[in-house]
Amino acid sequence: MKTKLTLTGLLLALACSLPFPAHADHDGFNDVVKAIEQFYHVKHQSIPFLARTGMKAARTAAKIKGGEWKQLAEAGSFRVVFFEDQRFDSRGQIANFKTSVQKALGTEWSTLVQTLSPKDEQQTHVFLRQAGPKFHVLVIEIDRRDATVVQATLKPEVLAELLKDPADMGKSITDEATTADP
Amino acid sequence: MRETLRTSLKIAPIMLLLLFGGAMTSRAQSGKLQLDQLDALTNRASNTVEVKLDENLMQTTWKLFSGKDPDEIAIKDLLKNIKGIYVKSFSFEKENEYAPAEIDSVMSQLRGGGWSKIVGITSKKENENVEVYLMMVADQISGLAVVSLNPKEVTVVNIVGPINLEKLSQLEGSFGIPDLDLAKPKAKKDNEN
Repeated sequence: MKTKLTLTGLLLALACSLPFPAHADHDGFNDVVKAIEQFYHVKHQSIPFLARTGMKAARTAAKIKGGEWKQLAEAGSFRVVFFEDQRFDSRGQIANFKTSVQKALGTEWSTLVQTLSPKDEQQTHVFLRQAGPKFHVLVIEIDRRDATVVQATLKPEVLAELLKDPADMGKSITDEATTADP
Repeated sequence: MRETLRTSLKIAPIMLLLLFGGAMTSRAQSGKLQLDQLDALTNRASNTVEVKLDENLMQTTWKLFSGKDPDEIAIKDLLKNIKGIYVKSFSFEKENEYAPAEIDSVMSQLRGGGWSKIVGITSKKENENVEVYLMMVADQISGLAVVSLNPKEVTVVNIVGPINLEKLSQLEGSFGIPDLDLAKPKAKKDNEN
């Protein structure tokens, strides 16, 4: 009897210690959108935003540090979700949001940059994952009233350029994805 | 069967100790600092910046730079052997919003485990207390750490791999490493452990 109990205990301990994924299929982008909605009790508005920008986001150019205008992401590679005119209040727990996003993304994505200003509710998170010969970059930008989630596919040489200034990377990609053609 | 189980249960704690001990030693010798405990400052800080280029990313990054442009060749050579760049910086609205004890989790790692403080390094900035540490493994530098403290700011930079001050100055302002504005050392090195 004692042996059975010990064995059961050991098996339970082993089962609990085995890592199992929270989500079987990590999309990353959708997981992050859900994490934002759950943490802040907000709802995303993807279609009105795309209509407003005339769906030209993918062709928009952004200025990379160093001067000339270049297109960062592959044409048509953007996924954008927008939260407009909603209340983003982390109730003094902005660090918990950071943790919940990392949990939602799992180990497939590497955290590259995180900047947080709790007082102004401003945050930028940049994550990266390899996608064959290219890279997926996921950028979350949040302030007190609005938020944007952008996923872009970048060529290695563009990523190399952006990595020189990772703190500015999120802004460059979000600008390109959310600014209409001039 | 029962005897085997009994023996296994006796050995299990020893195996666990060996396993965790081994993991801790390898981390201590790798030149990588454990910086997670600094996250407790996040909710209080007015601004937090965290940059994390881990080993996987570094292995990919250096290959992305072309071997044509002389500047890019220099960066490529520099990054080739670096296994990670980790930066955490916290700014506070008022002075002394953090207690020195809150940095202890980092400082205690630097006071032991093969890290040596480079004496004579100061900051050119006012009110800034900067300490630079090197991790040596068999006469090879395997990591560098810079802790920069002033009453309203805490910054920790940890570069894993063969890096020295000269190389660090080449990387300042890039890859998330802030401009540290370090003054040259008066003496070369002093082991404070």
